[in-house]
Amino acid sequence: MGLWATVDAGLNRLYRICGIIAAFLLVTLTVLVFLSILTRMIGTYIGGLTEFAGYTMAACSFFAMSYTFRSGGHIRVQLLVSHLTGKARRINDLWCTGIFALIVTYLAYYLCELAYESWEFGEISEGGDAIALWIPQLPTAIGSAVFAISAVHTFIETLVRPATLDEIDKGAAMGSEG
Amino acid sequence: MTEVLATVIFIAALFFCLGSGVWVGASLLACAIIGMELFTSRPVGASMAVTIWGAQSSWTLTALPMFIWMGEILFRTKLSEVLFKGLTPWMSRLPGGLLHVNVAGSAIFAAISGSSAATVATVGKMAIPELRAREYPEKMIVGTLAGAGTLGLLIPPSISLIIYGVTVNESIAKLFIAGILPGMALALMFMTYVAVWGIMKGGAIAKEQSYSWRDRIVALMDLLPVLALIIAVISSIYSGIATATEAAVLGVLGSLALSWWQDSLNWKTFEQSVFGAVRTSAMIAFILAGSTFLSLAMGFTGIPRGLAELIGGLNLTPLMLIAMLTVFYIVLGCFLDGISSIVLTMAVIEPMVRAAGFDMIWFGIYLMIVVEMAQITPPIGFNLFVLQGMTGHDMGFISRASIPMFIIMCLAIIGLVMFPQIATFLPSNT
Repeated sequence: MGLWATVDAGLNRLYRICGIIAAFLLVTLTVLVFLSILTRMIGTYIGGLTEFAGYTMAACSFFAMSYTFRSGGHIRVQLLVSHLTGKARRINDLWCTGIFALIVTYLAYYLCELAYESWEFGEISEGGDAIALWIPQLPTAIGSAVFAISAVHTFIETLVRPATLDEIDKGAAMGSEG
Repeated sequence: MTEVLATVIFIAALFFCLGSGVWVGASLLACAIIGMELFTSRPVGASMAVTIWGAQSSWTLTALPMFIWMGEILFRTKLSEVLFKGLTPWMSRLPGGLLHVNVAGSAIFAAISGSSAATVATVGKMAIPELRAREYPEKMIVGTLAGAGTLGLLIPPSISLIIYGVTVNESIAKLFIAGILPGMALALMFMTYVAVWGIMKGGAIAKEQSYSWRDRIVALMDLLPVLALIIAVISSIYSGIATATEAAVLGVLGSLALSWWQDSLNWKTFEQSVFGAVRTSAMIAFILAGSTFLSLAMGFTGIPRGLAELIGGLNLTPLMLIAMLTVFYIVLGCFLDGISSIVLTMAVIEPMVRAAGFDMIWFGIYLMIVVEMAQITPPIGFNLFVLQGMTGHDMGFISRASIPMFIIMCLAIIGLVMFPQIATFLPSNT
């Protein structure tokens, strides 16, 4: 149990760090858009600011995914399953977390492949920024990979400890730290 | 025949995933993957990654986290207090008394926040205890608040309008402008209801103290910074100086300034507002990721085209079609939240609505009202949840209290169908 607790705490810290990165990216996004207003007001033009704002948002969203998931921020329809108890509840919990882990891993795999192929084929953005596309795609890929880790983590945790999904719904799965 | 079977599997998978409690974003992704596998020979995973990357990094969508953040900042200011104290001297002598503060406060907060739940929470925080102390009937306090909170989606900025605009590729600025008049009209309808109720009750409710003009002017001064922020954000969009995203950033800076001016800005509230915004944005981004890929898959299934032809063949009058859609969205709202309903249905509904000749800007405004109607009907409704938490009443009481508001919103839809100019006049004249 000692090893599992260490891994669990470490992973929760990872999600929290990703959440902090996402918070910084949100502030960065605000600054970028503000810059685009300022530069237009003084009549200059910095190429690619709007593209960079979009990239920053994508990175922000995906870095926040795992943190949001583990703190109960993602929504699901509980109306029909909230009355399940006992074994039916257990099977439904495993189905939900299992299929979720599968789908999110699938998503993360292909987002990573997208970034990898952009790098391999040297793809360049078509916007005013004209940078290599793998650069903005990399943070999104990393964020989605951590999201996949959090999904698999939650599935395993549900297998071991039946109360897991309930804790996630209540936003209590991140532990009390910080 | 195989085509029909594939369609059945696709739809059944969607309902099964959503109904069994799989997270909405993942449900949509799962069905899109099944749909792509069944109906095309394209590489599924690669199409998914390209579609999601394109949608998630689009400039238009950047307005979304910005406006969410703006709302999160204002939620943590003393705004609920300022709104109540500022509006009270102006509303106290109207028939229906301070219940008007619920409506007017919601309309004002709606103009700086894009979420109806936040509107209910902010206005209610101060108004519920104050109105209770003055012995207004509980049913009216709760009902007017539930109803007026829905203005949050209609009066710009609106999170749901941004999502609608991104989904159907319409200008967010135009949608925002289109929401102004219908939002004000709906607020007036709510206030008329309160006034009629007040007149009918006559002396049964407590007389409010009257305020001098001096008091009113002082109260107005308190409201001034908020009003200035509203005017700055809306006029920057309306005049075309700023895009929706840029207006949102001005809004964020303005709300930080307002928060600082009210002494409620410190590291803790700032940090909470950023994390709150990040969480809400990520929640929506995940649903949007699922829905953009599902829209792509939906296109291959032929369901939207089939449905558009089917409805086209029925030769419905616009009013009948709208009545059908209204019932459909309210039923759907029993299972899904507003944002999920919008993104999930637009892939199917959009071709049909376009084929029926509706203006997509007008339809967006219509959709906001119906989705909000679904939010004040049980069993699922964010406004109901918020009010449940704030007042301690059960869902049944709150939704019964909201019935008059629900009827008023039905009337608003009929008005919107009969006089579409209410929504289309302003955006076509900018």
